[in-house]
Amino acid sequence: MSLFDKFEKTASLYKELLGAGRDPFGVSMEEMKGPMRAIVKGKEIVLAGTNNYLGLTFEDDAINAAKRALEEQGTGTTGSRFANGTYAGHREIESALAEFLGFSNCVVFSTGYQANLGAIAALVQPPNDVILLDADSHACLYDGCQLSGAQTIRFHHNSPESLDKRLSRLDPSITGKLVCIEGMYSMFGDVAPVKEFVEVAHKHGAYLYLDEAHSFGVYGENGRGVAEAEGLMDQVDFYSGTFSKSLCSIGGFVASNHPELEYLRFSSRPYMFTASPSPANIAAATATLKHISADASLRERLWSNAKRIHSAFQQLGFDYCAPVGPVIAVRLPDKQTAFLAWNFLMDNGVYVNLAIPPGTPNAASILRLSVSAAHTTKDLDIIVQAYTALAENFQSALVTTPA
Amino acid sequence: MTSIQEDDDLVFHKICSLLEPLNDKGVKLTRDTELIADLEADSVSVLDVVMDIEDNYDISIPVNTMSEIKTIGELVDAIHAIKKEQG
Repeated sequence: MSLFDKFEKTASLYKELLGAGRDPFGVSMEEMKGPMRAIVKGKEIVLAGTNNYLGLTFEDDAINAAKRALEEQGTGTTGSRFANGTYAGHREIESALAEFLGFSNCVVFSTGYQANLGAIAALVQPPNDVILLDADSHACLYDGCQLSGAQTIRFHHNSPESLDKRLSRLDPSITGKLVCIEGMYSMFGDVAPVKEFVEVAHKHGAYLYLDEAHSFGVYGENGRGVAEAEGLMDQVDFYSGTFSKSLCSIGGFVASNHPELEYLRFSSRPYMFTASPSPANIAAATATLKHISADASLRERLWSNAKRIHSAFQQLGFDYCAPVGPVIAVRLPDKQTAFLAWNFLMDNGVYVNLAIPPGTPNAASILRLSVSAAHTTKDLDIIVQAYTALAENFQSALVTTPA
Repeated sequence: MTSIQEDDDLVFHKICSLLEPLNDKGVKLTRDTELIADLEADSVSVLDVVMDIEDNYDISIPVNTMSEIKTIGELVDAIHAIKKEQG
């Protein structure tokens, strides 16, 4: 029995995939040609497998702010805020995010993963607290539950009724209840019925924790997310997000109107024991947040691009997983077909994400495409051409005959 | 430690029928069948079946409990215990 035996099953699946072509999980962008193009193996491809929904990774304002922060504050903070101190930029972005979202408090973490990990692990504690978790939640929410050690109960994805049943069953000795859901789910691009979840959670005296990592900047009139789109910002107990998607940097945050959120700063281990985000990362995220607040046309472009791709896929007859949105996932019959289809799109100049079980809900094998405000008409043409060829060559991916 | 026999344990039979969709290889299900190793199921699919089990018995089986369960027999025993506790 060796230390490495446990990897065998995954390793053989990986090897099997490699045998059929390129490595879908090891694509190397040799050179970036703006936000939506990269050179891979010497060939320029269109990037449609990012989380760069607003496409702001190359904006002058953010690049200049990051350069200034580098020159004035150095390359790294070399420690955590708890142990080694806070930089002015950390405070500034916390205030800016709280103001943008309309919450009284905001705590910044070093990544989005750590924001969820750290907030959940600190907020709930065994034996008297319980977490109720949407079954399709991201790994960082699951890991937060595990790190907390508290009782964790899954409910059926996007089903307030399933949550209601589980809250009703809880033992009266349970005093703290936290319900965790996401705004938009990253794999299928489907959106949570936040309003119904808020009602069910609050009816049972539970707090609602909403992860808007993928929907921040994308949904709602001002880009505050699905909660804003549903008019519920003031009903969300804890709102988490990331800098690594629409904010085009790296870092994460949790915002709330509960002033007790501040307790995380001395009770959340991922906050206390990780180096704080670097000055350049903070400056870039702060500048991009200003950009997003000032420019609503970004969202208009994103949604118009999403509609174009979605309607093209609909005409081609693909089996897609959610209504129109910035993530458009096409379902393939099995992982081998999905892998061949992924390779086929690469050959046709388009990079998307391959997602296979157990990383996907319902054991689905999908090609996840993300649309960006920065995709040009030419980029979208290339994507539609590649998927048109895909439809011709992979008829098993179609649910209806092409129109 | 098998106090309840497979033949007359209704929970065992119910669990087997709920697990059947995961049993692609058609292995014979016994108390000793390992959920992940023998059914070659992934952990997420097993947790999805657990939600159906929960609704069937109107009980909650925390993820924490599932992480300690390997075999069908252990799952059946856990359900009996939780039914007693939550019922």
